[in-house]
Amino acid sequence: MVKKIAVYGSYEAKVRVKQRYWKMRKDGIKQRYWRKTKRTKTIEQSGRYEFYGKGRELYKATIKAHQYMPRGYVHVSAKQFLENPEKYGLEGEWIEREIES
Amino acid sequence: MKGKLKAESLNSNNGLPFILGITDQETVKLDFDKTPFKTVKYWAMRTMKWFKLKGFIILKSSENSYHVVFDKRVSWNENMHIVAWVCLLSQHKALTKWFLMQCIKEGSTLRVSAKKEKPEPRIVFRYGSQDGMIAEFLAYRKIVKSIIAKLQRQKELCSLAIKT
Repeated sequence: MVKKIAVYGSYEAKVRVKQRYWKMRKDGIKQRYWRKTKRTKTIEQSGRYEFYGKGRELYKATIKAHQYMPRGYVHVSAKQFLENPEKYGLEGEWIEREIES
Repeated sequence: MKGKLKAESLNSNNGLPFILGITDQETVKLDFDKTPFKTVKYWAMRTMKWFKLKGFIILKSSENSYHVVFDKRVSWNENMHIVAWVCLLSQHKALTKWFLMQCIKEGSTLRVSAKKEKPEPRIVFRYGSQDGMIAEFLAYRKIVKSIIAKLQRQKELCSLAIKT
């Protein structure tokens, strides 16, 4: 297996707030649904990228990782991440907090 | 903001807002936090001899914290078998916690960049063969370090441009 670069830490990002609502179904059962509102909230969590690939791509991906925070644990090739960073991360800001390796 | 600071504003050693490390499955690695050097060396030597791991290096990550990297290529199962053996015999709580986290991730990671007030880990001891996984680890570490240096240079240039 190839070696990978781990980029990890804590971050703050804005996410769309979800709202719960109920709808009466034809069969008489009340069904719960969720919808995304326009409101946003700031969340604080930790995440990690595991990048693999060539040196130049790794460098570019690391630069991109400044802007895009990982959605949890993201294991992706640096090339794929560069092509579509929105898929793997959300825009936010890294914060300094105690984090384990 | 309670108990946290914006990473950019905080003057950490390398100026990076996140931590960079190396992850793989085939290199046996150990992370000894809050352990004296003698104890780390003892466990590294004992593990190397028991599992015939050819050689090892010890990296000092901060005061009384050390990383150990062994030279022999192993499978992921064997890797975790070795780390679990060390955890059980040494009864080291921090190492056991680190081991559990690596099991969850299915890959063991060691830090390469600086972290808060902790500097970049540096080699303090070498023993035995160094041309297997240690050579690979050090080569990859060089790539990561060059990325860190490039990022630092870029940041310095940006701050200079803002000043002017």
